[in-house]
Amino acid sequence: MRWRSAILFAALAAIGGAKADPDNYVIARRGRALAIAGDCVACHTAPGGAPLAGGLALATPFGVIMTPNITPDDASGIGRWTKVEFARAMHEGRGRNGAYLYPAFPYPYFTKVTREDTDAIFDYLKTLAPVTNAVNRRTLPFPFSVRALMIGWNSLFFKPGPFVPDPQHSPEFNRGAYLVEWLGHCGACHTPLNAFGANKADQFLQGNRIDEWTAPDITNDQQSGLGKWSVDEVVQYLKNGQTRTTTASGPMRDVVEHSTSKMPEADLRAIAVYLKERGAAGVPVPAAVPASDPRMQVGEAIFVDTCSACHTRNGAGIEHLFPRLADNAIVRQSDPTTLVRIVLTGVRGAGTDVFPTSPAMPSFGYRLDDDQVAAVVTYIRNSWGNTASPVDAELVKTLRSHVAGPVERSAAQ
Amino acid sequence: MKHSGSGSPRHPGHLTRRSLLASAALLITTGGARARVVTKVLPWDPNEAYPVVPVKPGGYLFFSAAEAAAVDAIVDRLIPTDELGPGAKDAGVTTFIDRQLMGPFGGHDWLYMQGPFAAAPLPSQGLQSSLTPRQQYRQGLAALESYCKTSFGGRDFVQLNADEQDKLLTGMEKGDVTLPNFSSKMLFSAIHANTLEGYFADPIYGGNRDMAGWKLVGFPGVRYDYRDVIEKPNQAYTLPPVGMQGRSAWGPR
Repeated sequence: MRWRSAILFAALAAIGGAKADPDNYVIARRGRALAIAGDCVACHTAPGGAPLAGGLALATPFGVIMTPNITPDDASGIGRWTKVEFARAMHEGRGRNGAYLYPAFPYPYFTKVTREDTDAIFDYLKTLAPVTNAVNRRTLPFPFSVRALMIGWNSLFFKPGPFVPDPQHSPEFNRGAYLVEWLGHCGACHTPLNAFGANKADQFLQGNRIDEWTAPDITNDQQSGLGKWSVDEVVQYLKNGQTRTTTASGPMRDVVEHSTSKMPEADLRAIAVYLKERGAAGVPVPAAVPASDPRMQVGEAIFVDTCSACHTRNGAGIEHLFPRLADNAIVRQSDPTTLVRIVLTGVRGAGTDVFPTSPAMPSFGYRLDDDQVAAVVTYIRNSWGNTASPVDAELVKTLRSHVAGPVERSAAQ
Repeated sequence: MKHSGSGSPRHPGHLTRRSLLASAALLITTGGARARVVTKVLPWDPNEAYPVVPVKPGGYLFFSAAEAAAVDAIVDRLIPTDELGPGAKDAGVTTFIDRQLMGPFGGHDWLYMQGPFAAAPLPSQGLQSSLTPRQQYRQGLAALESYCKTSFGGRDFVQLNADEQDKLLTGMEKGDVTLPNFSSKMLFSAIHANTLEGYFADPIYGGNRDMAGWKLVGFPGVRYDYRDVIEKPNQAYTLPPVGMQGRSAWGPR
């Protein structure tokens, strides 16, 4: 009997030594859902690298920052971190040893993620297989390499504190606000930055140029925002990567594929309700470029010969396949970078479980020179119910030199 | 006879799928320096493309001045300029042929060019010559020059009148003309085929200038969607042709 007890005890001890505590399965599952909503994998995964093992180079105006390994590896990951240390990183932007983190890590957003949620995310990360991947965390040049600089930055731009629901709005709206403003940190891309790399709070979600893409206005604005989208369309876009008339591409393709398409529909609906109810940027509608303008005439000829086969002569497109250009807020963004870029280099849309095809547009940079790209985009921005500023060929030239491969550069020569 | 899927006998020496693949692999690996074995990855990249470098007219890269003049004269008889529009010469076909001869076509770089070459090939056997297009033009035009000087009192092809040129070309087409050390039929076939190609290929390649060939036959160019017009039978199609580099309405380049 004594021997049998001893054997039983040994077996229990062996189970106790395993990494995952079976009791926190439900919490870890919740943490996984939160990590998906926060899209941790987008930044904490190198191209071709193990998920969440870090090593992605983030190009900031101040230099390159390499994202850290957040798998539970003792030496190179967060294996030795505690829940308290993890919550301090999320809420105060401090490393395990207290060093200041850079706001490339969106702690100014995560500060309002509840302690319950940071604990759940931590529990989830602890269930992952540890991946040994030591990342060089000292790539920023002087003086930005001095982490204590962030004391000053934080005092200017960082407002720590818990999330306070707005009692004037529904629980659904507040859930959406929590996801959009804080955990999902949508503003990190969709809000303009000031010279210090901090978001301009007064222009929250009004659109921003990032990595040579336009992160569009996602306020409820009629001209350039979601004003003409229904709540259902926002949900479909986030869940499926497309609505009947538009397709996610560029960086948002990654967000949809890695994050929003895997979120519960109730959360997506909360996001949509919040975005629709929050208010509009109030973007003034510029004067239309008249049809008699030479750029419009050249642009129309190019559109008819080159674009109309898919996007159709009246800009209506083909549902679920070729995006509609007519009366489209994406087309009317005050910054036409995304449109110009897509014409130059082509683009592939998001592929999701519901719409796995991920339709693609070919590049036209090899056929169209800078003036021609500017003309056709100007035409699209001022046709079929769209009114937006004309495109400068200089913008096309600059963008081409940044984003185009040798093939797409050929037409400029 | 009853078929049983798994019980079919295998005879020694029977050509199985596996042995066929194995022998094919052996052929690939021993076939020559240009063959390579591809494993695990596809030997191309997604969205890989090789866009054309547009031909800039002016001067000749392969032809001498005399050769270019002879080709000009020949293509001008094959598709003359008339009331229907510019002919092959005026549409830049000589420039097209010149640039093609300097590219991979001119050396038959992408064709199998080792023997045996059949002396009396079947029609299905294709080209049966070790001569590349560059060699055909260089040797053939020299032979034509020599033939004309001998047969037409010191005049070369360019100096013949139109009737004389037509008669000579007709003879070459039929193989009735005997050029010194060169098949007149081979020279005619090469120039005839390349003239049609140059006259109707996209203007980006140097011929078909201002889409003259396409306008002549009503070809719409690189458009590929006709839903707007397909429902309008018996109505004229009015859109102008468009090339790879667009058309004049796209603005100056």
